[in-house]
Amino acid sequence: MAELLRTERLAKSFRGLVANQDIDFTLAAGSMRCIIGPNGAGKTTFISMVSGHQRPSAGEIWFKGERITERSVVRRARMGIVRKFQTPMVFDNLSVFENMEIAVLGAKGPAAARRGRIGEVLDLVRMAEIADAPVKNLSHGQKQWLEIGLLIANDAELLLLDEPTAGMTAEETHATGALIRRLIRDLGLSAIIIEHDIAFIRDLHAPVTVLHLGRILVEGTFDEIAGDTQVRDVYLGEA
Amino acid sequence: MSLSRAAGGGRSTPSLGAVVVSENGAAVLTFAVLAGLPLVASDYAVFILPQYMLYGVLAMSLGLFWGFAGILSFGQAAFFALGAYTMGLAMHGGGVAGVIDGAYLGLFLAALGAGALAAAVGYFLFSAGIRDTYFVIITIALSIIAEQLAITQSQITGGGNGMFIDRMMLNLGPLGSFSLEGDAAMYYFVLPIAGLVYLALRRLVGTKFGKVLVGIRENEDRVISLGLDASLYKTAAFALSGALAGFAGALYATHASFIAPSLGGVLFSTEVVVWVAIGGRTSLLGALLGGIVVASLSNYLSAITPEYWQLVLGLLFVAVIVYFKGGVAGALAAMLKARRGRAGEHG
Repeated sequence: MAELLRTERLAKSFRGLVANQDIDFTLAAGSMRCIIGPNGAGKTTFISMVSGHQRPSAGEIWFKGERITERSVVRRARMGIVRKFQTPMVFDNLSVFENMEIAVLGAKGPAAARRGRIGEVLDLVRMAEIADAPVKNLSHGQKQWLEIGLLIANDAELLLLDEPTAGMTAEETHATGALIRRLIRDLGLSAIIIEHDIAFIRDLHAPVTVLHLGRILVEGTFDEIAGDTQVRDVYLGEA
Repeated sequence: MSLSRAAGGGRSTPSLGAVVVSENGAAVLTFAVLAGLPLVASDYAVFILPQYMLYGVLAMSLGLFWGFAGILSFGQAAFFALGAYTMGLAMHGGGVAGVIDGAYLGLFLAALGAGALAAAVGYFLFSAGIRDTYFVIITIALSIIAEQLAITQSQITGGGNGMFIDRMMLNLGPLGSFSLEGDAAMYYFVLPIAGLVYLALRRLVGTKFGKVLVGIRENEDRVISLGLDASLYKTAAFALSGALAGFAGALYATHASFIAPSLGGVLFSTEVVVWVAIGGRTSLLGALLGGIVVASLSNYLSAITPEYWQLVLGLLFVAVIVYFKGGVAGALAAMLKARRGRAGEHG
């Protein structure tokens, strides 16, 4: 499979505090990866450097063969790297439909085709019934789905999902896993997912990258990671 | 499935649609009343109302930027004054013989100059990430600078003595030219302009541009993260707002026939903010009517109670800010929505 994203010796420090160091990471097009690690491992920092919200202190980022290390958030989003934030970042005072209308404005292609996508995306995230509802009345879980919907409507190719199941019930979490698998399988999207929920990660059947103290500790399948004694020591043991 | 649980009922009439329907009706009514008013109103009203309609256009210039992009500007008076002085200078200059007369050149340059100034200020501030209160402070400074320049550059502006400007001629080429010396002529010249500006802005806020501005108002970081260049949109909106204020200022100059430095000052800028806040900042008609009605009210109050009229206006402003954040237009829309909601429950 073609390479979609690659980082090389990526590093970030905040006034001497090392948040990320020597991150060599690759993601193939049409695939997903979970990033796990204890609090402070540098998971969100890594996502932020990929999305452009943080500039790396050192290292390089390539997306579809282009070097994007210095590119702005806007330009990366236009290339297809779109991010879902830890706390849902949506337009709270607008309706679900109006949220989608703004999201498709950032997508490529003719206006009519973009607008036509809204219905499909609403069906996909199961919000067609509540398209007119004000977003501020939605549950936390619904807002998470809406935000994922915004990324799809926006024509994202690489979804950066920072804790997509935070605040969800077990049932909602399960449905979210199914949604993400569909996006990868049916729409050919790619995703990097930060999560804490071990059952959710197992359900995704995605390769896992474990971060610890800003570095990649180990990468592998869920079973390999679960059986790794280092990982047990730093992460699973604490959980 | 729990995620598809309806949060706000089924597909009922969208609330935004209800506001638009009611705003359309109110707009037709407003312009019909304004069109018929000279038939019954006093001579003084016919003289002064075009000025208030231009204040209404100025208020809409702020309504676009504050109401839709969510950014407050205390610099509208600076653009208004820049437009007014540009108009004065162009009319005194007499235009370019055989190409364009002074008044038309003045209107064009007023909009262009004020728009360019706003674009330059907006570009540097927004691309540097200046937001919220910091932007407000800089626009206050802009108004102070405008007033001070009008005072000190007296060889150009007339300084504290102000500048006298004639009423413009409406030159329609082969159809001949008409004097706007008469107040009724001026009235029916300004009214359709205010109407066209209103219609154009209403259309604009329904386009991609308008929707992105609303997105910026609601959550700028989300807009940026969706690949939309928020600072570019804010700069364009501010430039348009400035151009419109400058254009209104140019027409004001030829209507009032006299302009003075205070036209560019913080005090006048603050008045514009008060009009829009009272009228309702998310409704362009609210802003327009805020300008017309509050200015008329100020005029009336200053005649009957010269000592206290500003106090009355101040209290009104405070009451609106405390009780209806959306101004009169917002309060009406909320009332209409509540009534429809109750009707829906019973029906």
